Amino acid sequence: MLKFIVRRIFWTIPVLLVVIFLTFIMMRQIEGNPFRQTERNVPESIQRNLERKFHLDRPWFVQYLYYVKGVATFDLGPSLVIRGRDVNDIVKEHFPKSVELGIYAFLFAIVVGVPLGMLAALRHNTAVDYGAMFFSNVFHAVPSFLVATLLIYFVALEAGALPTSGWTTWQSKILPSIALGFAPMALFARLVRGSMLETLQQDYVRTARAKGLRYRRVVGLHVLRNSLIPVITAAGPLLGFIITGSFVIELIFNIPGIGQYYVTAVSSRDYSVVMGLTVLLASIVIFANLLVDILYGILDPRTRDART
Amino acid sequence: MALLEVDDLRTHFFTREGTVRAVDGVSFAVEKGKTLGIVGESGCGKSVTALSIMGLIPKPPAKIVSGSVMYEGSDLTKLSERELEDVRGREIAMIFQDPMTSLNPTLTVGTQITETIRRHYDVSQKQANKKAAELLEKVRIPRAAERLLDYPHRFSGGMRQRVMIAIALSCDPKLLIADEPTTALDVTVQASVLDLLDDLRHEYDMSMIIITHDMGVVAEAADDIIVMYAGQVVERASTLDLFDNPEHPYTEALLGALPQIEGANVRDGRLTAIPGRPPDLIDPPAACRFGPRCRYAGSDDCTKHEPQLREIRSGHWVRSAHPASERAGSRKPQEVGS
Amino acid sequence: MATTPTDIREEGLVEAALGVSGTPIRQSNLWKDAWRRYIRNRGAVVAGAGFILILLYCLIWPIISPYDPNAVDYSQAKLDPSLEHPFGTDKFGRDLFTRTAVGGRVSILIGFGATLAILLIGVVYGSLSGFVGGRLDNGMMRFLDALYGLPYLPFAIITLAIIGRTDMWTMMIALSIASWFTTARIVRGQVMSLKENDYVRAAKAVGARWYRVLGRHLLPNTLGILIIAIFLELPAVILGEAFLSFIGLGISPPDASWGAMAQEGRGTYRTHPIEIIVPSVAIASLVLCANFIADGLRDALDPRTRES
Repeated sequence: MLKFIVRRIFWTIPVLLVVIFLTFIMMRQIEGNPFRQTERNVPESIQRNLERKFHLDRPWFVQYLYYVKGVATFDLGPSLVIRGRDVNDIVKEHFPKSVELGIYAFLFAIVVGVPLGMLAALRHNTAVDYGAMFFSNVFHAVPSFLVATLLIYFVALEAGALPTSGWTTWQSKILPSIALGFAPMALFARLVRGSMLETLQQDYVRTARAKGLRYRRVVGLHVLRNSLIPVITAAGPLLGFIITGSFVIELIFNIPGIGQYYVTAVSSRDYSVVMGLTVLLASIVIFANLLVDILYGILDPRTRDART
Repeated sequence: MALLEVDDLRTHFFTREGTVRAVDGVSFAVEKGKTLGIVGESGCGKSVTALSIMGLIPKPPAKIVSGSVMYEGSDLTKLSERELEDVRGREIAMIFQDPMTSLNPTLTVGTQITETIRRHYDVSQKQANKKAAELLEKVRIPRAAERLLDYPHRFSGGMRQRVMIAIALSCDPKLLIADEPTTALDVTVQASVLDLLDDLRHEYDMSMIIITHDMGVVAEAADDIIVMYAGQVVERASTLDLFDNPEHPYTEALLGALPQIEGANVRDGRLTAIPGRPPDLIDPPAACRFGPRCRYAGSDDCTKHEPQLREIRSGHWVRSAHPASERAGSRKPQEVGS
Repeated sequence: MATTPTDIREEGLVEAALGVSGTPIRQSNLWKDAWRRYIRNRGAVVAGAGFILILLYCLIWPIISPYDPNAVDYSQAKLDPSLEHPFGTDKFGRDLFTRTAVGGRVSILIGFGATLAILLIGVVYGSLSGFVGGRLDNGMMRFLDALYGLPYLPFAIITLAIIGRTDMWTMMIALSIASWFTTARIVRGQVMSLKENDYVRAAKAVGARWYRVLGRHLLPNTLGILIIAIFLELPAVILGEAFLSFIGLGISPPDASWGAMAQEGRGTYRTHPIEIIVPSVAIASLVLCANFIADGLRDALDPRTRES
């Protein structure tokens, strides 16, 4: 078991390196040397100093290595636009909010989506099933900014129940989390339902019932555990969705998170901020996939013995 | 008194294409300490019969429309799901055909045995584990205690079937239903599993129903046999009597399809195959269901009326208008010593 | 094409080699069967009709409409839905019904364009990897794993930044580059499993040439998967474009896609919410139809996935 985990962790390192490399290459294409831009009136001598400090006078490959070293030591460099601010500072200030939003949205999706899917599966082919599936199909298709707008319109403006922006009080966190988590919730419901329906047909479920086990145990243990396996594999890419979705939600609800900052950084050509943030986001995605793989290994013992 | 008595059981499947009468008037009894064999080709209703006894038929499309299953004084078809859960595993146990898929791949073998024990008896996990190890030894799995912690995919097909048997025996049931227990196994493994079942049956003083399409298996394992065709019982007799003096044309054909190497029944020439196919069970005609494939059919008794099950000899029942001993030119069957 | 004796013989041998249980695909029947099965699914039929309706609306209405989608007329600004303006007007006085149709053209064009690009890249990459197999396949898949680590939206944003402009073509390119991975994986999986499939083996055993194997056995099956992939990628791309436009990185005005329209409507959502609701609902409808069509196609083309 441990060997399995170690092996998976080991493989994330080259992946991360490649990701950094790709981002690095892509960023280089944008505008070459950021210090030479005419909008920034940096005196020639200072420019040369800065270049030397940031290794910009060395070949690109060397720059890449320096950057990787930086990442490994959690030093993502300074912002190129805002004087005196490091990327790390920006991250520390804005990132936690985005993470919180993402976590709440994810929790909402699970807490509402999974039971919904289970209900639909256990009441297969009844009104409950059809209703739940219709509901989740619709909400999977609706873009999150529509959900957000509708929520704001009806709950915040009409009913005046919850605030429309900011990320301060616990009330202000409800609507954005729900808006972001809606589509994932619908996806979970569909996946859980499909998976459970398939599991319920399996022979070993029949065996479990033949043993006289209480129905609750049959469903709760035998069925649920096996149903969740394919659902978990879908959870990985879902994280990617939540990250991208948060950009939009943060914009609508005026939440000072990473998403907002990212776009600003790109338009202002803040080279290091964009790099740093992208690497950060990529690391999260990779880490999430790693977790999913490990979880999969825990739940399905067959994968542990297979070659990774 | 018989341990289990099935009386005129009818289980129908209500589907969009029509009502499939999978089990249509099946009656038999299982005596204490004896083994009943149920033979028939695929689709004849033998598995559905077994599942109906256990109440494991899929309830939305299927339903037991009439008949009774008497076990120790109560009619199983009238019990609630909770009451049935008490009977399953504890009084009547069942093992299934495909050992590869019948065990949960994500739980250890030990868990799957102990959860059965702890469901029906109030014992601690440790005691249950001990019993589970004993059971694995009993079904001849080496290094039983270590193996408890293994997952099903670490076992071969034959060993998984033994695990299934261990699970089935864990609560000392009075009746074991084995649905095609050897069909999915290699021939050499088949023999050992059958031997195991036989030994255990005697040791636990258990009754058994063994369902199969393989005449060789019932010849070895069963005391009495019922032959099923198209959802009905077409012949019922003791094993000896059935093999020596088959009455129903279908049974004859089944036995005729068996290769005989020596003995009185050696034939020259080809094995006889039974032409045609079983009838569609959605709207069976009110006539003998075997008629279209029977070489003796023709008179009104077969084509206009459905023959009833009647006792042609002591302990030998047949559902046919033309049983062997009544055909012209047939020799009278020798009385078989009981 | 006339069936020569060798065709007949080969077919017969393949059948014999498989026994009754194997199901070789007979080209003529596959599509007819699938069509019949598709028709039976009411939801899919409605979705298909809806999809075509939306396409027609976007194609035809702008031609016959009395309104110029870009004409500014403040005297008509912010009107509610009426007979003359079924969707009302926006803050610039432009008829929303017409604008939505025009916006639809843009969104759908981008959608189809990007989807086609995704398919192209995915098919090439996936079939190469799957067909050749071995170390090349291993390497290509590992590279793909690394690419998965790049979060979707940032990737697209960076690509846009690299290209520098934001018009229809760059959108297509950016979106397709960021999302071809899944298709490649699916194609590769399909090619690999088909390569080892019994009927392919049987055909080869009979001496069929590789192009016959490809044309008669591999391609018809992959085609089905590709069609399904189209209707799965299309909604994702359309949503992606909507998100990008919403953040402000979309097509520059006055040519607007639905996403851009939604972004414009953001400003007035408190007082005149219809400006953001209409384009969002348009997006949602198209996506919903595409989802249902994809489901219907999946059921129609793969008879084994049947609901109990």
